Order: sequence, then structure tokens, then C-alpha cells
Amino acid sequence: MEVVCDLEAARRDLADEILCGRSSVAALGRFTAEIDAYLERLRASIPAPPSPVALIALGGYGRRHLCPHSDIDLLVLFGDRIGAAEERFVRGLLNPLWDAGLAVGQQIREIGELSQAEVDNPEFLLALVDARFVAGERSLFDRCRASFHVPRTHAHVLAALQTLVDARHAAFNGTLYQLEPDVKEAPGALRDISAARTIAAVTDPSLLRRGVDEGPRLDEAEDFLLRVRALLHIEHRRNHNVLGHAAQEKIAERLGYPGRGPRQRVEALMADYFRHAKAVSRVLERARRTAPVPMGVNIGGTRDGIRFVDERKAAIQPATWLGAFQAALDAGTVVSDEALACIKRSVDRFKTEDFFPADEDRAALLAFLKPRPGLYARLSEMHDAGLLARMLPPLQAITSRVVRDFYHKYTVDEHTLLTIRNLERLTAAPGRGRPQMAPEIPSGRERFASLLRDLQSPEFLVLALLLHDVGKWREEDHASESMRMAEALLDRLRLPAQARDTVLFLIANHLRMSQVAFRRDTEDPEIVRAFAELVGVEERLKLLCLMTLADIEAVSLDTLTPWKEELLWRFYVDTYNHLTLEYGDELIERTQTGVAECIACRPPDLPAPDVAAFLEGLPRRYLRLFDRDSIYRHIRLARDIHPDEVHLSLEQNKDVWDLTVVTLDKPMLFSNICGVLSSFGMDILRGQAMTNPNGLVLDIFQFTDAERFLALNADARETVQSSIHNVVAGRATVADRLAGRRRGVSRRRGPDVAPVVHCDDQSSRRYTIVEIVAPDQPGLLYRISRTIAAHGCEIDLVLIATEAEKAIDVFHITRRGAKLSEPEQRALAAGLQRTLEDPDEAVEGHYPAQQG
Amino acid sequence: MKLLKAIIRPNKVDEVKDALAKLNLSGMTVTEVRGHGKQKGHTAIYRGKEYNVSLLPKMEIEVVVAESIVEDAIRAIVEAARTGEIGDGRVFVLPVEQAYRIRTGEREV
Repeated sequence: MEVVCDLEAARRDLADEILCGRSSVAALGRFTAEIDAYLERLRASIPAPPSPVALIALGGYGRRHLCPHSDIDLLVLFGDRIGAAEERFVRGLLNPLWDAGLAVGQQIREIGELSQAEVDNPEFLLALVDARFVAGERSLFDRCRASFHVPRTHAHVLAALQTLVDARHAAFNGTLYQLEPDVKEAPGALRDISAARTIAAVTDPSLLRRGVDEGPRLDEAEDFLLRVRALLHIEHRRNHNVLGHAAQEKIAERLGYPGRGPRQRVEALMADYFRHAKAVSRVLERARRTAPVPMGVNIGGTRDGIRFVDERKAAIQPATWLGAFQAALDAGTVVSDEALACIKRSVDRFKTEDFFPADEDRAALLAFLKPRPGLYARLSEMHDAGLLARMLPPLQAITSRVVRDFYHKYTVDEHTLLTIRNLERLTAAPGRGRPQMAPEIPSGRERFASLLRDLQSPEFLVLALLLHDVGKWREEDHASESMRMAEALLDRLRLPAQARDTVLFLIANHLRMSQVAFRRDTEDPEIVRAFAELVGVEERLKLLCLMTLADIEAVSLDTLTPWKEELLWRFYVDTYNHLTLEYGDELIERTQTGVAECIACRPPDLPAPDVAAFLEGLPRRYLRLFDRDSIYRHIRLARDIHPDEVHLSLEQNKDVWDLTVVTLDKPMLFSNICGVLSSFGMDILRGQAMTNPNGLVLDIFQFTDAERFLALNADARETVQSSIHNVVAGRATVADRLAGRRRGVSRRRGPDVAPVVHCDDQSSRRYTIVEIVAPDQPGLLYRISRTIAAHGCEIDLVLIATEAEKAIDVFHITRRGAKLSEPEQRALAAGLQRTLEDPDEAVEGHYPAQQG
Repeated sequence: MKLLKAIIRPNKVDEVKDALAKLNLSGMTVTEVRGHGKQKGHTAIYRGKEYNVSLLPKMEIEVVVAESIVEDAIRAIVEAARTGEIGDGRVFVLPVEQAYRIRTGEREV
């Protein structure tokens, strides 16, 4: 049965209502309801497609402001894929609308398409603000709303709206005083009302209630302008919105404006028009000026800093507060006084867990604590508002705490915060390319700044600094007391075991490095060895070194002298060299404490002899690098390994992939594995390669999927793994795999830094050590290790590190089981230098045929 | 009176202070200084790159002593600061013509 809509009758009714002076908004609402009902009847009359569907009114139709000849902006939203049946449904819907003489602006979407805001389609984004359910499946509409009303999309809407308003106003020379105004588009006209309401909707719903009488004045202006627009449509019998001279006379007369002649009536009408347009302009101008830019759930940015959009809501949602400080940090601004006052009023009602109820909240805290410019200022705001000590209760014990000694110049809490300021000062990028407003790294500190850039998790250092002196509420042995208090807090924050250990280590030892560096004979190798033993690995050394620097500098203005910096740096270098150059001589013995613990705590599936056999002869460093769970995983991988076999695991950890390879030693092994990773475009960031005396090889790589091979291919993991198997087993060669990549490798050259190759046969009894610092480039490790192998050398141990765009690799090598002679070292260094200076040469590979 | 000016290893300050205290010499000035004598610095290597460390961190202790205990004080410093390696430092002995106590203006003998 044909569905009929008597559009003309509806338009006549609308005209009658408008002319008899009733509310035009109400009249347009009734006219819109007629269209809604027609659409619903139409939908019900068409065979339902397999996919659920919702009809959604957009823009002015969504606002129920349809004038007699307005376009009908409609979103036809499907819950599933759009197929032939859905297309038939759309035709069945739109054809009768067109036949009825309606101008339809239709958008057809699958619900999945709305998960990403269409930032390149600002008009559609804006129209969605006023989306209103008309007919069909309501739950689809609800999903559409939920995915649209998020701060990120709101921020896009706000930005798009500002641009569109500027462009529209420019088309009218920026003035509302038009002799023949367009009542929809002109400054102060209907679109501006809608813009002001949209700004409020996406930023702060109470925005338009804040000015004096703004709400009622806007309503009044809207009713007037809609009345005029409706009459223009009726007069011209089309979607015509320009209030021209002729129309002004007719409409002034129809609306009963007083005056002896048309001219007086028109003047009265236009006086009304300009009065309303002026009011609209002022409201919009204020809304644009004061609206908070959406920066998070209930968080907006204003000229006064970050504020809560709805303070009453914020007051009972403490888990959202950290977001305000994060937003301020991101935007390089402050948290507004209003927001801080709101926090201050409510903070005492909450405890630690209320601020971090979920894993994501705890992760957000750690992300917030990454050192960067502004962190000290934000933490200080949090502390002054009483928030920091509520989140991290041990800080309560040292708030405004005064400790009298000869050195400290500040209260313990301020000293604590200043340590973080000192650290953040090392985060500014040096030299060229530095953002103009970013502070410079203090002179002479670049070397310490480079340590900070090296750190994998600098946020643990900040957490340790926040807690390092909390034990100072007691007079003696504050480091142990700080550690005791921190332990309880870290448990409440559910910090992962390794992170917890690191933070507690730093707190417990925060005085050790300065004690040794400034008061002990650091030229004594035994002192250095003992300190290296304490820190265990480079990461902890760097953490402790930076902690020491930041801590001393926060004691008073002149406690950290260049003299102390120099002593600290030299001690760091000596310990670093010990850790990276001498560890090859310190091997795990069966009787060692760590081994006994590993055996005692082993899971039931691992026999004690397997554990002992695996560990014995690996560098002791291994026990410091890995926790017991990782060690047991490695032992399982090493089970039943045979020549030419590879046991491996490949895991993703956020943006970084971890590859663990266990195999039996053979020539070119390390080079081949690096070559396979390079052939897939992987960028190796960090790694270790170790060998035990039985020829068992354990290689651990962390790399990024630089060319997104793993991200984009479903079977990519299997492909990478099988390639490693094949290359190690000799079924394929790296050269085959790398064929065709030459151009890619040459294209991506690293920064312009001269490569450094240094051979050292003093530091280790067993090995010649080759240290290489070079611009990071794809395939670098492969080329280096291939060159080393080509010189007849065996690679036993490798440390791989990347700092910014520099690769720092340390190889422990031998030749025919012994250290290299002087001439052999010179030849190798020269070969490596050539390889580093000419990547193309190495990739092509003019080396003798390789074994394996 | 003599002014003893001792350039010593930083880690030896406490031992030298203690040794001087045993001679009832408690007043002293300690300054962080950098310099080199015969030791002339050395070459350090960090991440494969050599750099020359020419000025070494040292501590300077200044103490004014009566003529009668100059020799004892010098011996105390030398014994406390010695490791037997290059870089142990120096003691300089300078004559002091006059000394005044600032608070009272009185001349010290």
C-alpha cells in the first residue's frame, strides 16, 4: 500500500500557526513530527533488510527546526554490512521522499564506520551533534551516540566548528548589519545560534547559562529568526533564506509590524532583526572565547588552565583527577585554580585505591610520572591541593617536614619535588630542533641527559624519587624507613614485581653512589667491582646515577658543584665499563647463592640438574638481568635442543617485540639471526647474546616492527619464526632473504655521526672487546657481526643498546679460542670502519662463502 | 705560624681531618679543586670513545699551625693521605705574617 504524506497540508498548517503568532519553535516541532511519522510509516512499509537499521535525523531536522522547505538531513545507519538487500531498502526509502518533493541530504553508514570520527568531513561531524532517533532499531542509535560523544571527537567538532564559523563570517565581511541578511547563514543568524549551542554541547553544557540572561535571549532570537525563515520559505515556496527588500515588506506586514507605510514597518522588522542578531553574536563570541577545549572525560582546557567541565561530577570521581594534570602536562599549561579548589574540597574523602581503581588508572599514573618539562609544576599543584599525599600516603609523613642539618635548605617534601625538577631539566632536547619554549639542558649536563634518554622506564626513577625520603619523619636511617613505607604503597599500586624491585632498590641505595663516589678511592678497582656488583646491570646504574645527581642538586643551590658532577660521572663511567666490559670473566658457578635459589624455587616440571646445567658457565650478569620466571622459561626452551635446531619464543609487549632464541653455537649464528630480523624490516633496539661453555646459546632481542610486517600480516609470526629455523638449519641463507632489500637499506641512512670502533684487550682476561657506536641503521647488527665473522672471529657475548639514533654495541670475541693479536685487532677495526662507513658494500656481501 | 696547604685525594679528607684533630688542630678550610701535578690526568674510554681527563678532582685543605707543631702536622697529613700511587698530592708550607680574629679584632700570636 502506498504511503502518502500530505506535505502541502502540513505546510499550510505550519504557516497558519506561524502567522497567528504562536511559538514558531513549537510550530516547527509539530511540522517535524509530521515528517518523522511519515518516515516511520515509510520504513514500516518497506521489506526489512537482514541488517538492523535506524533512521536518524541530523542537523536542523535533528533539532526539530524543519522549516517548510528545509532539506531533510538523514542518517540511515545499518548494524551490519551493507549488501544488496540494504541498498534496496535505501532506495525504497528515498524514492518516495524525492517523489514527495522533499530535498533529502542522506548519509548511509555501517555502524562500524562510526568508530573513527570522520575528521575530514566536518559538516557531517557537526550534524551528528544534533542526531535524533526517528525510527527503526533504537540500540543502533544509542551505539552511534556513545561512539560520538567522547572527548576526542568533541575536540574535533569544536575545532571544525571554529573553522567553519570563521569561514562563514568572512563571506559576510564579518558584520551582522546586512541590508538583506541571510537568516540562516549571516553572522548573528540561525547557524550562529546552532554553533553556540553546539559549543556548549561538546564542551560545557552549562556554558550558555553562565552569561547574564543569555539562555532566554538566545531562545527569543531563535524563535524570531525561525519565524522569519519559515515565512521566507512560504513566500518563495522553496528553501530561500535571504531576507531581501521585497520580502522584508511582505513579512513586516504579515507579522503586523506597526507603521504608516511599508518603510516604517520594514524598519521596525529590521530593528528587531538586528537586535536579535546582535544578541546571538555576543553569545556566540563569549562561548567561543570561554569554552573549555575537550581534553578528557569531564576535562577541558581554557585560558586559565585545565578545568573540570562539571565540578559536581568531578568531586565524586577521584579517578578522573589525574587526567586533569596529565592534560595540563600535555598542553604545557596549568591546572586552573577552580579545579584545584574542587580537588582540595573533596580530597580528604578518598584513599589511594579510589584514585587507581583499575589497571588502566595505575598505568596512567606511571605514564604521568615520565619526566618531562612541567612535571615538577604539576606535582607541586597536586601536592598543594593535598592530592599527592592522598594518592601516595607515605608523603603525608614529610609534608612541610623540617630537618635541621648543615646542608638541606628546604623542607623534605619540597626537596623531594625539586629532585624531579632537576630530572625534568635533563629532558629538553639539545641544540637544533628544540621547541622554542622548551628549557635548555643545563650546561655540562648533556652527558647525564643522555643517560636519561637511555632509560627504558624513567617513570620508576620518578616514583623512587617521590618516595626516597619519606622515612625522614624519623631522625635516623631514613633510607630503610623510606623503603619500608614504600613497600606497602607499591603493593597497593600493584606495581609489577620487577618494577617494584627496581623502585625499592633505588630508595634503599639512594645515598650509596654519592658516598662511594665522593668519599672512597674510586681508582681502586675493588671499589668499582663492589659497586658494579651492587647495581648489577647498566639500567640500574644509570637510574642510581641520575637519582644521585637529582638528589644532591635538590639539597641547596650550591651543593652540586661541577667538581662533584665530575666525580660522579667518572665513577659512573668506571662502573659502566666494569659492567659491560668485564662481565665475561665472571661466570655462574654451581655453588652460587642465586643458583641455589633458582633450584629451590623451581617449578615441578624442571629437574634440579637441568636448572644447574643451564645456569653454570653463563655470565653472572644473567642472574641479575632476569627474574626467576624468565629464567625458567629459558630453561624450558633449552630442553632437548639438538644441533641445527632453534627453540624460540616471540612475544609482543606494547610497541616492542621480545624474541628469545635458544640454540647450539655454530659459525655465523648471531649474524644470521640479526640478518633474518633485518630482512623483515625489524629495528633491533636492545639485546643480549650469551654462550655457556657447552655451546648453548641464548640470544634475546627487543625490536620494533618498523615496517609493520608483524602488524599487517596474519601469519607473520610463523613466517618470522620459520625463517629463523631455516636460516639456522642451513636450509636458507640470509643473503637470499636480504636480496632486493639493498635499496631500502641504503635509502634509510642514520644521523650524521662518525662511527666509532674501539678494540680493548685489557678489560677482560678471556675476550677481546669491540665497542661500536654508530648511527642506527637497518641491518647494522647484521653487517657488523658478519664483518666480525668474516675476520675469523667467534662472537661469544653481545650487548646491544640504542640511544636516540645511536647504536651502541659491545662484542666479546675470540679468534681460534684466544684474544686477538694487535695486528688482528687493527685489521678487524679497519674492516668494521669500512662496513660502517659504506653500508651498501656490506649488504652486498663480498665475504667468502659462509659455513652453516 | 705557618699555613699548610695540602692537595689530597677527595676520599682522604676524613682521614686527614681525623689525623689533624689528634694534634688538636680543629680549624681548617676544605675546598673542592681540580688540577694536575705529575699525574697529568689520564685517558678514559666511554662507549668506545677515548677522552682525555686532564684536570683531576682533588681536595685542598688549608690549616694554620704554630711553628712548634708544623713538622707533626705535615707528617700527619702525609701519612693519612698516602696510598703510594701517583696522584696522592702535595703539602705546601707558607709563612703567615699576621692573623686577626674578625669578631673581636684581636691579633693572634
